[in-house]
Formats: sequence, structure tokens, C-alpha cells
Amino acid sequence: MGKDLKPSAALAAIQSDARLGGTASPVEQVVTGLKALIIDEIPSARDIAFLGVERAAGGLSRENWSLDASWVDETGAQARCLMLMRDAAGTLLATDRKREFAVLKALEATSVPAPKAYWVDYDGHRLGAPSLVMDRMPGTCDYLVLNGHRPLEARLNLGRAFIDLMARIHSIDWRDRALDAALKVPTGAPSRVELAHWEAEYRRVQLEPHPELDYVLAWMRRSAPQAEAIVLVHGDFKPGNALIVGEHISAKLDWETAHLGDPLEDLGWVTNPVRKREHQIAGVWEREQIVAAYCALTGLQVDEVALRWWNVFSCWKLAVIQLTAVSEFVAGRYDRVFQTPSWLYRPMFQMMENTA
Amino acid sequence: MRPTVQEQLLGTCRILEKLVSPCVADPYARTILEGLIGNLRMLTSALPAVPSFLNSDNGATAELLKQLQSIVAPDLASSIALALGQPEPDATDMAALEQRNCELREIFSQALCNTDLTPELRSAALAHMTTRSARAPMRYVPTNSSPVKAI
Repeated sequence: MGKDLKPSAALAAIQSDARLGGTASPVEQVVTGLKALIIDEIPSARDIAFLGVERAAGGLSRENWSLDASWVDETGAQARCLMLMRDAAGTLLATDRKREFAVLKALEATSVPAPKAYWVDYDGHRLGAPSLVMDRMPGTCDYLVLNGHRPLEARLNLGRAFIDLMARIHSIDWRDRALDAALKVPTGAPSRVELAHWEAEYRRVQLEPHPELDYVLAWMRRSAPQAEAIVLVHGDFKPGNALIVGEHISAKLDWETAHLGDPLEDLGWVTNPVRKREHQIAGVWEREQIVAAYCALTGLQVDEVALRWWNVFSCWKLAVIQLTAVSEFVAGRYDRVFQTPSWLYRPMFQMMENTA
Repeated sequence: MRPTVQEQLLGTCRILEKLVSPCVADPYARTILEGLIGNLRMLTSALPAVPSFLNSDNGATAELLKQLQSIVAPDLASSIALALGQPEPDATDMAALEQRNCELREIFSQALCNTDLTPELRSAALAHMTTRSARAPMRYVPTNSSPVKAI
């Protein structure tokens, strides 16, 4: 696919393109930048070629590029099916590729199915924006798989498999994997750490007063729970961030929000009543069954009041993410139109009243 | 005035769907285009409802602030008195209605979070916020036509 570029030439091309007002297409930027990145990492690489370079339609927080790469290096001919995740100009989640790369590397020696991470462009000097290159895993992503076309027994098995996967993530020895160096160990209750982080995000993106969200925030501050354990939290645990092959989970994706925190954060995300269609199967795989399965798998006790707090937090965080989209859209950096998440207010108020 | 705003928005949707969309092959661009068309359709019905929504919400928020005025801290009570003393904007002036809405909701937020509310006032505040969220005319239009995607 054209002549190989030396790293310096690739960088110069991107910088020159930026000076000219960005005339290179996104595909050209990806091709040029990725070639440079590969040469950085594998100096002996030559005859680098890419096929099927395409930006996937999904991905609300960053650009997801799919491509097949081949090259020849000192060990012979190479071929990889790759995904390149590149930070978009506008994003719902401001996350760090360095942390994500460290998490993916730590997961490689565990039983958690996740893509193998190859290379990372931390500051975007090759690809124009921070980027991460990883294996393209087999499977199909269906965020409503638990309520899709499969027979009930198969869907129930998948529901159990998701909670089993969550339990395996939470059981990873993060000290042994040196994740305490890459991810901050929370000082104090993880609920307060997460709340402080998301409150800062809220204030950063807020365009107008939201008494409803302020009211919930004040309640969360007053009632933030302590954690029973500190674990690796995925941070966006849902079927929409997983790949399925047949009846099995082939990969858990989207680790950019992973952090050390309270295990109830992930459990609160999946038992959040506003997202029942994604996480629950009416009558057979509801909050009670999910919590019981989680306790049996982990041996942890789940405090119902604390879990309810994390349910409220999940809704509130989701509201902040949607406000981020509103802010980014208004600033001209985001292509999708979101609205003030007023549909989340009533469920949050109800959960707060029930807890009281 | 013809074409009306609604006729223009709907006409734009029709042209984008029939003429432009079939020519867009890139999956990402196509998803974005579908989302934009869906949002334009939502605006067609939501836009005429915005001024009356803001007008009504300003009235309801002001009424609630009157009730809160007697139990909030003195400086906040002064802010409420000042805000309530302002003339109501023209019911058709969308920008003025928006501004008034922001002013009232900012004070409401402070009163709500910094005051020990009586059970009656808390119920009234919750009812107000719940009703408002149910009546908000503009709604998010999902862009994912299918929950399934191959990676």
C-alpha cells in the first residue's frame, strides 16, 4: 500500500497536513500514522500493507478502526487482524490510553478474555491523536443479547457467564499484576473518589443549571458507602462491550474506564433498573438472581443499601456522560445529538426515596 | 409563513433520506446521518412546544421558590426576592424565556441543596422536578438502528 515511510517522514506528513488545514483524509492519517507506529515498534518491518481500513459505525467515545495488516520483519511474514482505537476530537469519556494499555497487558496472563494489545501512541504524535492498537477478536457484539433471539436457556447461560466474567475480573490480583502503579489506588472510600471524579466532569461540561442532578449529588455525598474490597473495576460492564461466539463470550472490550475501586460499582451498573433490557431477563435473571450469583462466585457480601447507592451513582454518571455529549456537540466537536438526560431523574429519585 | 418551520424541517428530512442517504456508503457517516435525520424529525414536533414549556416551568419554579423563601438562608432569600421581582419575559421570546429559566433554576438548585427541607417542601420539589422531566419537549433519538454489530 504505497511506499513505506520512515517515522520522521510520517510525522512530518501529519504535521504538514495539520498546517495545511488537515487535507489528509482520516483513512490516510490512520494508514500513515500506523505505518510509522509499526516501524517505531518493529524497526525491521518492511512491506507494510493494510487492507480493509474502515471506521466502524459504533464507538461513542472514540474512533474504532478495523483493518488487516501485513508486513515482513526479521522473524518472517506477519499478518494481523487489528482494531485501532483513536481518540476522537469530541468524546463522551476523557480517558487515558496509557492506563488502558497497562490494563490490557495485565489481562494477558489471566483467564479474562480480552484483546491482546500491541502498540500505543500515548500522545498522538504518530496518529494525530492518542491511539491504541489491538487484536480484532472474533465475535458479534449485541447489547441486547440477553433479550434477543436465542432460546431462554442460552440467554440465561450468557447472563450467568457475564457475572462469572465480572467475578473473574474482580478476583484479579492487581498488585501482583503491578496495576497499582498504572492505576491509582483509591485513598479513602472508592465511592467518594468516583463521585469527586464525576462531579469534576459534571462541572466541566455543565452548560446550564440542573437542580435535579445537584439534588442527587448532595444525597450521594451524604450517603457514600465504604467498600468491602478494592478490586479491578471494568467501569462500563455491559453486553454492548463484549463479543459473543456461539453461546460464549469471546472477548470483553473497552477497558478505557477500568480502575481500582469498589466491586459494587460494576454490580451497581448491571443491576441499575434503567438498563434492565441490557442486563436482566424478566422473571429468571433479575437483580436478586444476579446478586446471589455474584455473592456465590466471589464470597463477598453485598450490602443492599450500598448497592442501591451505586445504582443511583450509575444513573448519575450516565447523566454526566450524556451532558458531556451535549457540551461537545455544542462546541462543534461531536457528531451525535444528545439531550439533557431528564429521563434518568425519576428513577434516581425513586431509588433515593426507597433507600430512605 | 409558508413553508412553515415544520414543513421545512420535514422537507429537509425527506431530501436527506431519499437523495443524500443512498449515496453515503461509509458506515460511520451513514449512522451519523440517520441520527441527524431522526433528531430533525424530533425537533419538528418539539420546537413549537418549547416556549410554552419554558413559560410554564418558569411559573412553577417561581411558585416553588416563593414557598422556599421563608426557610432558606437570608442571602439566598434575598436572591429569591430579587429574582421574583423581575418582570416575566414575553411568552414568545424564546431567548428571554431560556435566560429566565436558567436564572430561576440556578436559585432553585441552591435552595434545594443547601436547605433542610420539610417533608412537604421536599415532596413538592420532587414532584416539580419529576413533572418537568416528563414534560420536557426535546428527547434523545437513538442512533443505533440495530443492537447487533459485527466487529
